[in-house]
Formats: sequence, C-alpha cells, structure tokens
Amino acid sequence: MTTTAIPTETKRVPAAAPKRRPKREREGAAWVFLSPWVLGAIVLTLLPMAVSLYLSFTDYDLFNPPKWVGLRNYVQMFTEDPRYWRSVVTTVTYVVIAVPLQLALALVVALALKGMKRGKAFYRSAFYAPSLLGASMSIALVWRAVFNDGGTVDNLLGTGGWVNKPGWSLLAVALLTVWQFGAPMVIFLAGLQQIPAELYEAAAVDGAGKWRQFLSVTVPMLSPVLFFNLVLQTIQAFQVFTPAFAVSAGKGGPADSTLVYTMYLYDRGFVASHMGYASAMAWVLLLVIGVVTAVLFRTSRSWVFYASEGDR
Amino acid sequence: MPRHRTTGFCASAAALALCAVLAGCGGSGESAGGGKVVLRYTWWGNPDRAERTEQAVALFEKQHPDVDVTTSFSGYDAYKQKLATQAAGGDAPDVMQLDYRQIDQYASGGVLLDLAKQKSVLRTSEIDQGLLATGRVDDVQYAIPQGRGTETVAYDVGTWKKSGVPLPGKSWTWSQWADTMRALAKKTGKPGATDPGQSEDAFEVWLRGQGKTLYTEDGGLGFTADDLTRWWTFTDKLRREGAVSPAEQTTQLDGSVENTPLGRGTSVTDANWDAPASGFLALVKGGVALAPMPSGEDGTPGQYFKPSMFVGVSANTAHPKEAAQLVDFLINDRQAAKILGASRGIPVNETIRAEIGPQLKDFDKTIADFQASLEGKLKDPPQAPPAGDNALQSTFQRDYDQVSYERMSPREAAENYITEAKAELRS
Repeated sequence: MTTTAIPTETKRVPAAAPKRRPKREREGAAWVFLSPWVLGAIVLTLLPMAVSLYLSFTDYDLFNPPKWVGLRNYVQMFTEDPRYWRSVVTTVTYVVIAVPLQLALALVVALALKGMKRGKAFYRSAFYAPSLLGASMSIALVWRAVFNDGGTVDNLLGTGGWVNKPGWSLLAVALLTVWQFGAPMVIFLAGLQQIPAELYEAAAVDGAGKWRQFLSVTVPMLSPVLFFNLVLQTIQAFQVFTPAFAVSAGKGGPADSTLVYTMYLYDRGFVASHMGYASAMAWVLLLVIGVVTAVLFRTSRSWVFYASEGDR
Repeated sequence: MPRHRTTGFCASAAALALCAVLAGCGGSGESAGGGKVVLRYTWWGNPDRAERTEQAVALFEKQHPDVDVTTSFSGYDAYKQKLATQAAGGDAPDVMQLDYRQIDQYASGGVLLDLAKQKSVLRTSEIDQGLLATGRVDDVQYAIPQGRGTETVAYDVGTWKKSGVPLPGKSWTWSQWADTMRALAKKTGKPGATDPGQSEDAFEVWLRGQGKTLYTEDGGLGFTADDLTRWWTFTDKLRREGAVSPAEQTTQLDGSVENTPLGRGTSVTDANWDAPASGFLALVKGGVALAPMPSGEDGTPGQYFKPSMFVGVSANTAHPKEAAQLVDFLINDRQAAKILGASRGIPVNETIRAEIGPQLKDFDKTIADFQASLEGKLKDPPQAPPAGDNALQSTFQRDYDQVSYERMSPREAAENYITEAKAELRS
C-alpha cells in the first residue's frame, strides 16, 4: 500500500539533510516555497472574500458602482423572500438524503473490497472513476438525459422523467452525488486496513459473529474516519451546485424543487444581477456551515472513539 | 546547498511568479492572427439565424481582408447570463446583440459605446427614425435596432388541417382562441398550445387587450394581483382541461424552439416572436404558418411591433472603427440583407426593406406577409421596460410553475409575484 510507504520516506528525509542552517534563513526558504500557495490564497481567496463581505452590505448590479444599503440584503432575505426559504428547505432535504446514502454506499463497497483477495486494485479504481467523471458537466448532462422524459429511467420504470417531476427531481440530483462515492470509499478502505487483525481474532475467540464483529469492532475503530467523512461530505453537500444546475438545465426547476441554496445564490447574482444580495447569501451559508460543523464536532465526543484514548 | 544558489533560486522563483502575474494582465485587447484586427461578435438565436449570420460575416471578412471576426451564439437564456458576466468583467464582446430589456442597464452601466462617434462609418439615415430612437438612452445612440418583430401564434399546418378544425382567421379573441385550443386538443389528442401562463410576453398581450400595461411610465407595475390571478386562473383551467401543455412540458421551456411543445411535436401551436418561429420549420413536418395573437374581448389588439433586437458595440473595444463597420454592414449592406433576410425580423433600413421585401422567399416571406397583415392595426409599443424586467421574466415563469404543478393557487402565486416584482423594481 502506498499509504504505508509514505511515513518511511518522510523519516528518511531529515536524516539525509545536511547540517541545519540558522532558523531565520530556513524560514525564508519556507516562504519562498510557500509563495505560490500564499499568493494564491491571498489574491484568489482572501481578497475576494473581503470584497464579498463588503458587497453584502451594498446594492450592486455589476454595471453601476455599489450602493451602501446596510443590513437591507439580510433583512430582505429573512423576512421578505419566500423563495429564499424554499431554497433553504431544499438544501437541507438534499443534505439529509445525499450524505447518509453516499456514506453508506461508500462503506458497503469499502467493506466488500477489503475482503477481496484478487482484483482489488481494479475494482477500487473502477468505483473511484465516477468521482473523477462526476464533476464534469458532460456527465451531469448525460444524467439529465437518463432521467428525462423518454430517458433510460423512464423506459425501465415507466415513471416518466424524474427531472420534470417536483417530487422526484431532487432525488435525481442526490443520486448523481451518491454515485460519486469514490473519495469517502478510499478513505474508509484505508481506515479499515488500519484496524488490527488481533481485534477480530479476539472477537472471534469470544464467539462474536460477523455482524457482532462489525458493530463492536469495525464501527468503533472506524468512527474517527466515519466522522471525518461525515464532516467533509456535509460541508460539500451544503455547497452543492453543479449537479443541481445541470440536471435542472440551469433553472432549479421544476417548481423550484432543485433550487438548492447555491443555485438561488447564482440566480440572484448572475441572472438577476443582485451581487450584493448574492454576497449576503454566501456569507450566511458560510456561517451556517460553520455552525453545523461545530455541532457535528460537539456531538462527536459522544460517539467517536480514538484508539489512542483507549490506551490511556 | 551553497548560499548563492539559494539566492539565485529565490530570484528565479520571484521572476516566475511575476511572469504569471504579467501573463494574466497582458493580452487583452491585443489583436492576434498575423496582424489582423480581431473582432468578437456574439448573438442569440436558432441554428437558422446562426447559419445565415456566419455567411454574412464571411462576406464582411471578404470585404475587409484585414479584419477577422470570431463569432459565438447560444439560446437567449444562456446568452443573457453570459453577456452580463462578461460585461461586468469589462470583457464584453466588441459587437453584441442586445434585447430591448438590456439596453437601459447596459447603457447606464457604461458597457456600450456612443455610436454617434463612429458616424463616418456607421450610417443611420435610412433607418426608420421612430425605430432608431428606441436604441437611444438619455439622447445617446447606444444601439441600433436590427429588425422589427411582433408576437405570433405559430402553428403546425398539417396537424391542424387534418383535425378538421377551421384554420385561424385574421383575428380572434382570447375566448375564441381558448375554444379553438379545446377543439384542437379534442380532435388531435394533444394539447392545442404551449401553456401561455408561463410567458410574461403573452400576459402583456392579454393585459394590453384590456387597455392595461405591464409597467407604468415611471417603471412601476401596471397591473394588480387581481389581474394576474385572473390570467393564471384562465390558463390553469385550460391546462386542467388538457387544452394547453401539461406542467412537465411547460417547465422545459428555455427560450429555444427545440424545447417548446410544438418543436417536440407534442402540441399544435406555440406563441412566439415571429422571427425565431422560422426555427420550427426544421422541426415540424407539416409546415408552419403564422396567426395573430388573440385580442381583447372587444377586439382591442394586445400585440405590438417592437425592435426585435439591437446591436451595440462595447465601450472597451480596441477597434471601435472596425466594430462600427461590422454594425453598418449588418444593417445597411444590400448583400448582407439578402443573406440575413428576416432572420432577425423585417429589416429596419427602409430602402432595403422596400428593395428586398418583394424578393423575400420561404419563411421570410411568411413573416413579411404576417407583419403586413397587421400594419396599421396595432397600438403603439410600450416604452422600454425597466431594468428589473430582465430578472422578472424568469421569476414569472417560475411562479407559474407553482401553479401548473398545483403547489399554489393562482391567487397565492400571483401575490408572490407582486411581492417579488415590487422588490425587484424598487432596487
């Protein structure tokens, strides 16, 4: 496994390094090597963020200079915009459907792969492929065709096109995300391989069956990895855009059923030219994701088990 | 590692980083392609318009060997989003097609060039003066109208004739239209029309037929929630009866003829603008003809002639003269007019209109005849819609989705729309 190879490599590097130079000079070199990243972070992330925070207190239509409006965007969002609240409900629904489904699938496949004797590398790559393809627009367009009137799903199930039914369209979007379970799967797989075999042997000696072993050994030992995946995927799910955009042909329809938060943000900013309002929405989203992540971390104390703690 | 090599490394790293920055800044406005002037020209439209525009552009390049025109086009919805982003980034195309709804915003935002400055190469003397004035904002000519258009009910001639329902005449009222759609649905087994409830344009025609307007002169709403409720109740009932398209079909509309029910072969008619209706020819086997939009119950016409689209030049263009030459060519060149026909509406250059008019053939002639049949009957067009209308057009369609999917009553959706419209127009 490549993962086990990395630590030995990092160990060798300091050993091979020549005698150390004064601290300040080493720091200078570090900054030089960091500079592409630091420059990128400042120019492409921090600066735009600062601008967007400023814009969120203005009325800005892209063409004319921004006009300061104080908290009006925020007030309008919370009190006068029914579509905003609909997009919030849609996004939460999406997160609640997509994240557990995706993690469950990733875990099941990782468990199956773990026990494989031959062809593991092939299947691992094969299951990972959708994650690489899924981000592309072309796949999302194919997805739309598959779930459209006269598409594959319509022909197989005779349900009509999901993308044109408000009750089903969000599920089609969620499935596109679930299908890209490769990244959490690889992480699960790595986590599974870290669990010492002795634990299973001991459990077997005590008379635990497969299911019992899964619940009492795998789940607690894997819980840090599970937690990591949960946080990461939740953050990503709140920001979902491409699948919803492509599957709904850029409209968030039908009847706003796939108008997730970032879609509505895009609509306000780029279709209706209210960049100030869109910026305010972006900041609210950032805060909400922050709060949700904090809550997840808080609850993690009661269910995530770190093996190192067990040793203490 | 010896010290001097580290310094050298630092310097080259810094140089590299600077190169990247400079590369990002350079290049804009420069002309590539072996010293030729390169112009970017963009428009929206159907494949027919694209083909003819490409031909016309090729002719322009032949006449101006030192100019290279790169073109791109898309459907209207995608076009207006892309253009807005480009314009905001100061990267608007040199020559761009614009809608009546965009002129005000783009002109006041400093995106467009004052075309009077290019008078020497851009002639406007032969353009209908009333029409030319629609391209002015605060007395500055920011854009030139490219054609005259009006709305129409485009219909599948073959299917309609087979149904045995009498063909549409020179005029009809909304209730006569509704009865006809019911009859067509009954005879053909498919809806008579695209559900007009989603269309702000159709709603405007209906409003004007009752002597009302979409917007007041000072840019406020010209109608009430009651008016909109009546309109959506009318179309909602027709949809429930199957006389107009079901929600699943209506929601797929995106401004292209391909995604209309008529274009898909699932309805008999579609209300559209006359020039883009030419796109139906390639999609509808039974042939396409044009009927007028329905009028008010007392015969008051709701439809009107308006500039179908404009062409403008970017204020940031590096080649204002060549860009103006291209505009002049598109509007005033006889050969170009022959190629373009009525693909952007009936030509605005009066000499060309008189000269080319009788020679128009195929669907161009259909459009010309249709417009001639309405000449003198229609009321004056409304003034250019306020900037917020650009966004309200899609809001209108979305709110109606809530009605056609039966998630809201016409009354609820109408009140929602009024709230949203007021917020939009206030800012």
